[in-house]
Amino acid sequence: MQPVISRVSVTLRGAARRVGRAARRDWQLYVLLLPAVGLVFIFCYLPLYGIQIAFRDFKAVFGITGSKWVGLKHYADFFASWQAPRLLLNTLLLNVYGLLWAFPVPVVMAILLNQLELRRFKRFTQTAIYTPHFISSVVMVGMLVLFLKPSSGLVNIVIEKLGGERMDFMMLPQWFRTLFIGSDLWQHAGWNTILYIAALTAIDPGLYEAATIDGATKTQKIRFIDIPHMVPIIVLLLILNCGAMMVSNTDKALLMITPGNMSKSDIIGTYVYRMGLQNGQFSYVAAINLLVNVINFALIVTVNQIAKKLNDTSLF
Amino acid sequence: MTAQPRHARVKRKIGKTHGDRIFDAFNLAFWLAVLVVILYPLWLVLIASVSGAEALFAGKVWLWPVDFSLIGYEAILNHSLLLRSYLNSIIYTVAGTALSVIVTMMAGYSLSRAFAGKKLVSLYFVFTMFFTGGLIPQFLMNQRLGLYNTVTLMIIINCVSVWNLMIARTYISTSIPNELHEAAVVDGAGHFTYFFRIVLPLSGTIIAVLCIYYGVARWNDYFTALVYIRDETKYPLMVILRQLIVQATSGTALDTLMGFFGDGKTISEAVRKAEVVKYCCIVVSTVPVVLLYLQMQKFFVKGVTIGSLKG
Repeated sequence: MQPVISRVSVTLRGAARRVGRAARRDWQLYVLLLPAVGLVFIFCYLPLYGIQIAFRDFKAVFGITGSKWVGLKHYADFFASWQAPRLLLNTLLLNVYGLLWAFPVPVVMAILLNQLELRRFKRFTQTAIYTPHFISSVVMVGMLVLFLKPSSGLVNIVIEKLGGERMDFMMLPQWFRTLFIGSDLWQHAGWNTILYIAALTAIDPGLYEAATIDGATKTQKIRFIDIPHMVPIIVLLLILNCGAMMVSNTDKALLMITPGNMSKSDIIGTYVYRMGLQNGQFSYVAAINLLVNVINFALIVTVNQIAKKLNDTSLF
Repeated sequence: MTAQPRHARVKRKIGKTHGDRIFDAFNLAFWLAVLVVILYPLWLVLIASVSGAEALFAGKVWLWPVDFSLIGYEAILNHSLLLRSYLNSIIYTVAGTALSVIVTMMAGYSLSRAFAGKKLVSLYFVFTMFFTGGLIPQFLMNQRLGLYNTVTLMIIINCVSVWNLMIARTYISTSIPNELHEAAVVDGAGHFTYFFRIVLPLSGTIIAVLCIYYGVARWNDYFTALVYIRDETKYPLMVILRQLIVQATSGTALDTLMGFFGDGKTISEAVRKAEVVKYCCIVVSTVPVVLLYLQMQKFFVKGVTIGSLKG
């Protein structure tokens, strides 16, 4: 007995001394970390404590911990409501259709950009296609509203000149996803080429030279050199994107939602904002938000695991 | 970005196949079309902002400004709430970005070094990328902390982006040689001295990247203010723009519009002029960001690839 205890205590003392020495040597590192840790704590970790209102009937007068527990009542309410399937489906479909467009377009653009030989034109093009990325969502939707306005929008004026009828695009549910995804493409497709272009730039120029000498055409070079080199990053990004299939782009959807297009544009994020901050149903909305966050968490962790596995075995 | 020069030269020597020439022609046509699609909307906003209201409504403004006038910009200069919000946005952006960059660089430096508990600290940050409390718990907590409707909140909220933190960490650990640290330690420097005297001065690129990422995100953000700010005088520009342009059909927005031309003119005339003003608003809110981007372009691309390929 005795020797065991003393051995343990020696190890403990050793560990304590090591920690003490590390702390003396590195305390400045911890101080440098402190502001970031503190800010993240306030804005990310404190709210986790507030999640409990999802299982309570929150009343401001009683505070968070003083409000009554109601268990899963809010979930029962949500799934009994007619909005539940519509909200979940709208959120999912907006992301799925978005990915179907937003994913391939930058890949194709990167390949074609890489084949441009006029260097100044190429640089100008790159600068131009990155620019819309920096426009705010308010301005983006503002431009949509202005261009598509039934009274003065250029699009409607052209439609009328061509013999068509003016349409209030922002009010029509069948146009919501097209406009949402289309404007996303306009803004970000160019910017999203950056990673692919980086992958193409890393290719050994000797490969192209050899291919040229062997008489390969440009399309053959794309097919047998470019695409194989891009596959790892394509797969990785595709998998990671799949982790965001239930994420709401509330920022933009909230700007584009109108009384007319709600049957398609009402997604989890806009519903949470409307019912929570405008109608004050804090607990109900917190419960829905929590559910979606848990789904998102599970999805992201899963796709990260998959990506890690692929990275180890087949990627680099 | 430019992997081509060598192989392009070789190709010119050998000569292009017929197929390659067709490919190049189609490729060029494709990119010209893309450029039109990308640039035309921006051009349209620009010319609409300096055109006359009547011409705009008649659809005459599509290639060049018609009935050139600056009434829209004049109206902006006379609109005190808009100017106030512009100033607010500058304050939030400058103060918030400065705080974000210094806090991120400090933490990024720490995470680039080895110390006890580093794994745990990394997990602490990364977890917040994956899981959040949600809008309402966040709102309740910030309200309880007394941050609702304060300038402080607008500056310190979302101060640390974990993504940017990882970019900073990767940059510091890959671009600043470790020998410098060893030499500094031999000379008796602690982490503070090393960080402030050696690391920061050598991190110009990454600081520029962080400034732009954080700065643009702050300038463009309207949602935070929508949730947390009640006083009009504290609104940032984007919230006012949202009211003016996106929500302009509702009654309150029309009142705001009338504020521009509250000099007894008819509503329809005011609304028409307000249309021009909206284009001007887009220009004055977007031009600073785009100019900044064009200035800093080379840093940007570097930043994106640092974070994603090596991180």
